[in-house]
Amino acid sequence: MKKAAYSFPEEVLEHVFSFIVSDKDRSSISLVCKSWYEIERWCRRKVFVGNCYAVSPPILIKRFPELRSVTLKGKPHFADFNLVPEGWGGFACPWIRAMAGAYPWLEEIRLKRMVVSDESLEIIAKSFRNFKVLVLSSCEGFTTEGLAAIAANCRNLRELDLRESEVEDLSGRWLSDFPDSYTSLESLNISCLGNEVNLLALERLVSRCPNLKTLRLNRAVPLDRLPNLLRGAPQLAELGTGAYTSEMRPDVFSNLAEAFAGCKQLKTLSGFWDVLPSYLPAVYPICSQLISLNLSYATVQSPDLIKLVSRCEKLQKLWVLDYIEDDGLEVLAASCKDLRELRVFPSDPFGLEPNVALTEQGLVSVSEGCPKLQSVLYFCRQMSNAALNTIARNRPNLTRFRLCIIEPRSPDYLTLQPLDDGFGAIVEHCKDLRRLSLSGLLTDRVFGYIGTYGKKLEMLSVAFAGDSDLGLHHVLSGCDNLRKLEIRDCPFGDKALLANAAKLETMRSLWMSSCSVSFGACKVLGQKMPRLNVEVMDESGPPDSRPESSPVEKLYVYRTVAGPRLDMPGFVWTMDDNSALRIS
Amino acid sequence: MEEMVMATLDLITASPHSSSSSSSSPTTDNNNNHPSSSSSSSSSSLCLSSISTRRTDLSTDLRLGLSLSPSHYSTPSSREQRSSFDWPPVKSTLRCTLVEKSQISQFVKVYMEGIPIGRKLNLLAHHNYHALVKALANMFRTTILCPDSHQLPLISGNNVHVLTYEDQEGDWMMVGDVPWEMFLTSVKKLKITRADRC
Repeated sequence: MKKAAYSFPEEVLEHVFSFIVSDKDRSSISLVCKSWYEIERWCRRKVFVGNCYAVSPPILIKRFPELRSVTLKGKPHFADFNLVPEGWGGFACPWIRAMAGAYPWLEEIRLKRMVVSDESLEIIAKSFRNFKVLVLSSCEGFTTEGLAAIAANCRNLRELDLRESEVEDLSGRWLSDFPDSYTSLESLNISCLGNEVNLLALERLVSRCPNLKTLRLNRAVPLDRLPNLLRGAPQLAELGTGAYTSEMRPDVFSNLAEAFAGCKQLKTLSGFWDVLPSYLPAVYPICSQLISLNLSYATVQSPDLIKLVSRCEKLQKLWVLDYIEDDGLEVLAASCKDLRELRVFPSDPFGLEPNVALTEQGLVSVSEGCPKLQSVLYFCRQMSNAALNTIARNRPNLTRFRLCIIEPRSPDYLTLQPLDDGFGAIVEHCKDLRRLSLSGLLTDRVFGYIGTYGKKLEMLSVAFAGDSDLGLHHVLSGCDNLRKLEIRDCPFGDKALLANAAKLETMRSLWMSSCSVSFGACKVLGQKMPRLNVEVMDESGPPDSRPESSPVEKLYVYRTVAGPRLDMPGFVWTMDDNSALRIS
Repeated sequence: MEEMVMATLDLITASPHSSSSSSSSPTTDNNNNHPSSSSSSSSSSLCLSSISTRRTDLSTDLRLGLSLSPSHYSTPSSREQRSSFDWPPVKSTLRCTLVEKSQISQFVKVYMEGIPIGRKLNLLAHHNYHALVKALANMFRTTILCPDSHQLPLISGNNVHVLTYEDQEGDWMMVGDVPWEMFLTSVKKLKITRADRC
């Protein structure tokens, strides 16, 4: 067997490898033997870097000289919730510069939580001759000037997606920089832009691109322009509306309803900013074909949501505000038997009193009624162990379960007990659980359950939970597949961290903020584990100016083959061998 | 099993970790001073200042049961502390939309001098006077002086307007003299008036 494998010519193996697309499988191939490693690296076209500081541009380029598609992620996930200070890092520029020199045929760049300058966008626009896909997800640092350079120069661009990025919106004119001869656009997402875009340029662009399948507008595109846009692109599969409000006029309504009815391929709807409920019936005619509905900006009350959702029988994914209430979720459970993903966001996250009738019951209903439900993100104000137990037994097929009880450390509201057993039931019954977020009153017991049963868990988020080092120890020693662990405001400290130092090398990253990890332990960790970058963040001054035993504000640990990063701002200290010596 | 675990942990040579040595962080101080906190637990280390008396009682139990919470853990359970917007974990794109929509909408009528048909506008879709004036200037295709420019006499002409509003007492006032939030609570309707008539 072994001999036969070696006797294959390189070209044949290359051809075989080309059918293997998953990153994980490609990595496994490269571990088989030296010659497979060599062949694989030369024919690798796509790479995913989950942490831009885990490797450096030169290392990447040296190993994979022929890449066409690069995905990079920057800041830690908690950056989404304001926990990563401004200026932390995650700069795209060094990567873009290096790739511009090494990969003239690069076609795709996907960046997440990175700082992207206009200069970087200009380099992309000028350097890659056949550039096709630019996805900037939760990125920042650039303006519409940079986008203008992309529009003007990337003749083969298929996808421009700015989802949830913070773009400095200098002018809406950049859209008119797409040349008149440009027709290759397949996907455009400008939902994050604040200002009005040039509507005429947008209409012209949309109607001249026959393959446009995805169009997500921003809030500044008025509703009365939507029918025209839709008529220009009846082939659309995914639409994000702009502002969904206007003076209520029968002609506007019928015009809109007609335009929607003409979109026979439309499967996904989002947007709905400032929604005026009386315009929602305009989408009723296409509800039966929808598989995804994002209503997380639609501040409408339960009766209107119910009328809409109950018509979407093929719905697989629903994002909605808690205005839907328990009654609405019950209707959802009865009508949408194909539902796979549900996210319920809080309409008043900072209010102290409940403003809607949404409880644990809504989620229980959906877990009973929707047999394909796999993924849950649910914000609510009360929960019980009994409800969690029912959900776990109803839906052992859950792979992602994120529950946020808004008041930290809320106990089971019926028994006033911790929610340990409820979350324990989730990890015990849902054997394929990959992602879990905990909330409510929790002791170390819940982490015992997670370590025992969460064998496939890859990402765990913890806040305001646990009561000693033992909690963290259970997770790190028990969860074999854990890759990302993020913890805030928990009494986890040095012992658990240091006892499981080797485990950290098998993970992508660990985040701990407002926990009990001491500066001394961070130094020890950095010394013991040279392949880990141990970064301490402290905005109140250098941590070595305080006793070694005092806890650090924020700790970010990740494995790397690139050594300590060189772009740290003043409030980040890395605990490598040298710095530890220097400090002590 | 647990004993074994702890034995392993003890083998690690780390600097002794004291959970009580840290002083109160600024967040905790904020909590202590919080004016609208209705519960009695604000002085405890495990702050559960909360929304109901039932939970206040609970915080007592917790303090007895879980004495291990060091003082630097804060619970951002009040509106003021949550001004850092790091809890609950809602992404900023959604958060911003929600914060400005937290009262859903406040539609008022707008009239412009010389035009018989009025319009309606959601005041809460705008964050300040400047944005409001800009929106109205677009809506009525005219120039409206910003309330903060204070240059009324310098510019004149038919196409220059100022924004006025009717307050709860039925008086007509110039927009811009009171803070935006106060304006939101007192405005009944808006009128765009020619500047030379004021």
